[in-house]
Amino acid sequence: MRGGGPDIPTLSPACSSEPMALQSIDHPPDDGAALLAVTHASKSYHGVPALIDAALELRSGEVHALIGENGAGKSTLIKLLAGVLSPDSIEIRVRGRLMQFHHAQDAFDAGLRFIHQELNTIPTLSVAENIFLSQPYPTRAGLFVRWRTLNQRAADVLARLGVHHISPRQIMARLSPGDQMLVKIASAFVGDSITSAGDSTAWVYVMDEPTAALTGQEAAMLFDVIQRLRRRGCAILYVSHRLDEIFEIADRVTVMRDGRVVTTAAIEDTTPADLIRLMTGRDLQQVYPARDPGTTAGERLLLDVQGLTTHAIRDVSFHLREGEILGIAGLSGSGRTELLRALMGADRVLGGTLRLSRAGRLQKLSPAEAWRHGIAYVPEERRSQGLILSRSVSDNITLPHLRDLARGPFFLNHQRERETSQMLGKAVRLQARSVEQITRQLSGGNQQKTVFARALVRSPQILLLDEPTRGVDVGAKYDIYTLIRQISARGTGIIMVSSELPELLGMCDRILVMREGRVIGAVKAGDVTEEQLLALCYGEIPHANQLTTD
Amino acid sequence: MPTSSQPTEITTKSDSRPVQWSRLLRSFGTLIGFLVIVAFFSWQKPNTFLNVRNWLNITQQVSILGVVAFTMTVVMVLNDFDLSVGTMASLVGIVLGVLLRDGQSSLPAAIGAALIVGMVGGLLNGILVSYVGISPFVATLGTLTMFNGLALYISGGTTIFGRVIPTELSDFGRGGIPLGTVAEQQVVLPNLTIVALIVLVIAWIMLEQTVFGRRLYAIGGNMEAARLGGVRVRLLRLLAFVISGLGAAIAGLMLVSRLASANPTQGDGLMLNAIAAVFLGMTMSEEGEPHVLGTLLGVLILGVLANGLTQLQIDTYIQQILTGGIIILAVTLSSLSRRSS
Repeated sequence: MRGGGPDIPTLSPACSSEPMALQSIDHPPDDGAALLAVTHASKSYHGVPALIDAALELRSGEVHALIGENGAGKSTLIKLLAGVLSPDSIEIRVRGRLMQFHHAQDAFDAGLRFIHQELNTIPTLSVAENIFLSQPYPTRAGLFVRWRTLNQRAADVLARLGVHHISPRQIMARLSPGDQMLVKIASAFVGDSITSAGDSTAWVYVMDEPTAALTGQEAAMLFDVIQRLRRRGCAILYVSHRLDEIFEIADRVTVMRDGRVVTTAAIEDTTPADLIRLMTGRDLQQVYPARDPGTTAGERLLLDVQGLTTHAIRDVSFHLREGEILGIAGLSGSGRTELLRALMGADRVLGGTLRLSRAGRLQKLSPAEAWRHGIAYVPEERRSQGLILSRSVSDNITLPHLRDLARGPFFLNHQRERETSQMLGKAVRLQARSVEQITRQLSGGNQQKTVFARALVRSPQILLLDEPTRGVDVGAKYDIYTLIRQISARGTGIIMVSSELPELLGMCDRILVMREGRVIGAVKAGDVTEEQLLALCYGEIPHANQLTTD
Repeated sequence: MPTSSQPTEITTKSDSRPVQWSRLLRSFGTLIGFLVIVAFFSWQKPNTFLNVRNWLNITQQVSILGVVAFTMTVVMVLNDFDLSVGTMASLVGIVLGVLLRDGQSSLPAAIGAALIVGMVGGLLNGILVSYVGISPFVATLGTLTMFNGLALYISGGTTIFGRVIPTELSDFGRGGIPLGTVAEQQVVLPNLTIVALIVLVIAWIMLEQTVFGRRLYAIGGNMEAARLGGVRVRLLRLLAFVISGLGAAIAGLMLVSRLASANPTQGDGLMLNAIAAVFLGMTMSEEGEPHVLGTLLGVLILGVLANGLTQLQIDTYIQQILTGGIIILAVTLSSLSRRSS
C-alpha cells in the first residue's frame, strides 16, 4: 500500500528496470466486482442544482463511458470523485468500504487517477520533468537531481504506454499537441505499474476527453493502454463526446442529462441513435443536417489561391465557390491549420497569390485586413486563440467589427453592440446569463458558439473554420452543423478543417487532402468512403477515378 | 446577418441572482479601505483634515501623480509597463527650462517642443517593445537611464530657476479658479487639479468609450486572440507608449509650473507611485484589469495618506514604510478574496 511517506519509492524497481515486461502477468480480471460505487451524489451552485442524486458503479475490468451534453453534470461528478469539490451529499464506496474524499490526496490514496482534458503542463520544462512533476525527482544527497535516472525513468513510463518517438529530454513546447497529451497521460501512470497488479494501488482511471487533441494513431496507442489496464482488472471511467470511440472501447455506458443519470446500459444493448436521444432528450434524425434542397454550391468564384507558400505549407493552389463547403483533411502537422492561418494573414506569406472576387488580388494580408475583406475565422484553440476570456460575450462577439458598430469612427455604441450580440447569440443558440457574462464562465460549447457568433456579425464572404466542433457536446454539435448549413445557403464560401473525417464527409462538397504542407488531392465528398479518405491522408493514393482534379 | 427563419427560443436565462456579499466586498474592498483611512484622519484631525480647503489642497498635491498614473493605466491595460515616465518628466522640465533660457523661445513654442520630446520618447519605447520585441521592463529601464542621463547632460546637472521661468507659468501652477468663500477663507480650485481632471476625463473616454480602448483591453486579455480577431496589436501597443510619454511630458510641465524651477531629477519619484496607484485600482475590478477610475482611487489613497500622515507629524521616512505596507495589504486582501471565491 502506498504509505504517503517520501521514502517509499514511487516507481517500483521491478517495473522501472523491466519496462518491456508487457506481455507478462495478466492477472485474471476479477470480473463483476464493484470497485467503486457512488450513490446519492448531489451538488448545487448558488442554489442551482448541477448534480441530482446521481449514482455510478465501476466494475473491475470494465471501460465505463460517461456521456452527456455540456452542463449535464459530468464534470461535477468527476470533481466530486477527485475530492476537489465538496458535495451536498454523496456516498462513495471503494470495494464496499464507505469513504470520504475531502482532498485530492484522499482520492489518490484510494487508488483513483485523473487525466483531465485541458493541458496543464509546463511548456518550458523537458518531457521527463513534466512526467515527474508531482513526484520527487531522484536526487544525489537530497540536493542534486540525477538527470540520467530521471530521463531513464521517463523513457520507461513512455515505453510502457507504447510511446517510443518522444525523447524525455525534449522541451515540452516543441511537441505537437497530441504528443503533449501523451506525455500528460504518461504522467498519470507514474508510480503505477500498468502491466502487473500487486505493486500498484491505482484501480480506477478517470479520463476526461483524453483523445480531444490526439490523431487517430495516437488515440490507438491510448486505447491499447486502456485495454491493458482493463485486463489487469482496473476500471476506466471514460468521458468522451465521440460516440464512435465509445462503441469501440467501452463495455458499459452511463448517460447524464440535466444533472441526473438517465441510464446505464451495456454497450451491446444500445445504439448511437439511442444514446443521442437519451443525451438530448430528443430524436436527431441524422447527425449531419442535409443541404436544403435547391441550394447547391454556386458557380461564382469567391477565392482563387495560387502557389500559396508559408513556413509550413508549400505551393498550395485551390479555389472556392459561392456557397461551397470545402473540407481540408490531413493528419495533424500536415499543414491544414497553417493553410487557414495563411489565408487569414496570421502567418507570413512567402509566396503565391490570393485573389478575392470582390477585392481582387490581396497584396499584404493581415488578420485585420482579412476581417475587413469579409474573411471570418474560427481558430483551432478557442481559449488561447479565439477568446478574450476576461471580457464579456458581447465584447468577444463584436471585437473584429467595432468600427462598423461604432458611433462615428471612434466611439463605442454600447446599445448597438448589445443588440447585435443578443441577436447573434440567439442565432447560434448561445446559453448565457446575458451577453454581459464573462466568457471564462461559459462551458466549452457556449464558448465555441461565442466565437462562431463573432464570425457571423457581417455575413462573411468566406468563413474559415478550424475544428469547429472540437470538445463540443452532441447537441451543440448539431446546432453548429445546422448553422454551417444556414451560412452556406446564404452564399458564404466555407473552408473547414477537421480531424473528424465523418464530419468532413457529412458536411463538405469537396475535400482537399493535405500532407506535409502540400495539397495532394481533391475529392468530391460523395465519391469516397471514410477509409479511402484516411488512406489518402496517409499518402496512399487510391484509384485515379477517386481523385478529381477539378 | 443570420436568418431568423427558424424559431429560436430565448436562451439567455434570467439574470436575477442573490446578492453576493463576498463579490461586493471584493469589488469595493479598496474603496471601503479608503473611507476607513479618511475616517481615521478625520477623527484624529477634525479641524484641519476634513474641510474643503484641505481636500482641494490634496487634489493639487496629487494632480501631477494623477496625470502620470492615468496615462500609465493605458499602458498597463496591455499588461505592459512604462518605467521611464519619471525621468521623462524630469527631462521634459529641463528641455523647457533650457529652451526658455538659451533659446529665447516663446512659452507656447517651448511647451510644444517639450510635449513633442515626451511623445518621441514614448515612440522610442513603443518601437522597442512593439516592433523590436524587447520586454517592456528592459526597454523602459534602458530608456529610463537614457532620459536621466540626457536631462543631467543638457542641464549640466544644475537646477534652472529664477527669472528664466516666466511668471505666467509659475502663477498658473499656484493659481486657480476662485470658488467662493468658506468660513471667511477664499476657496480656489487649483489649475493643476483642472489639468489632471481633463486628463482623467480624456483617459476615461479613451479607454471605456472608444474602439481604441476596447481593443487595448482585448490585447491585454489575450494578445494572440486579439491579433487573430483583427486588432493591429503592434500599432496599438506603440500608440499606448506614445500616450504614456505624452502624459509624462504634461506632468513634467506641471512640475516646472508648480515648483517654478526645473531640476534634472525632480520627476523621478513619480514612476513608482504611478504604478502603485494603478495596482491599487486594479483591486477594484473583477478580472483584475486596470481602469482609470480605479487608478483615481489609488491616486487619492496615496494623496490622502501623505496629507494625513504629514498632519499627524509622522516622519516622512515612516510615511514611506506605512504607504508601502498599505499597498501590499490592499493587493494581498484583494488576491486572497479572489482565491477564496
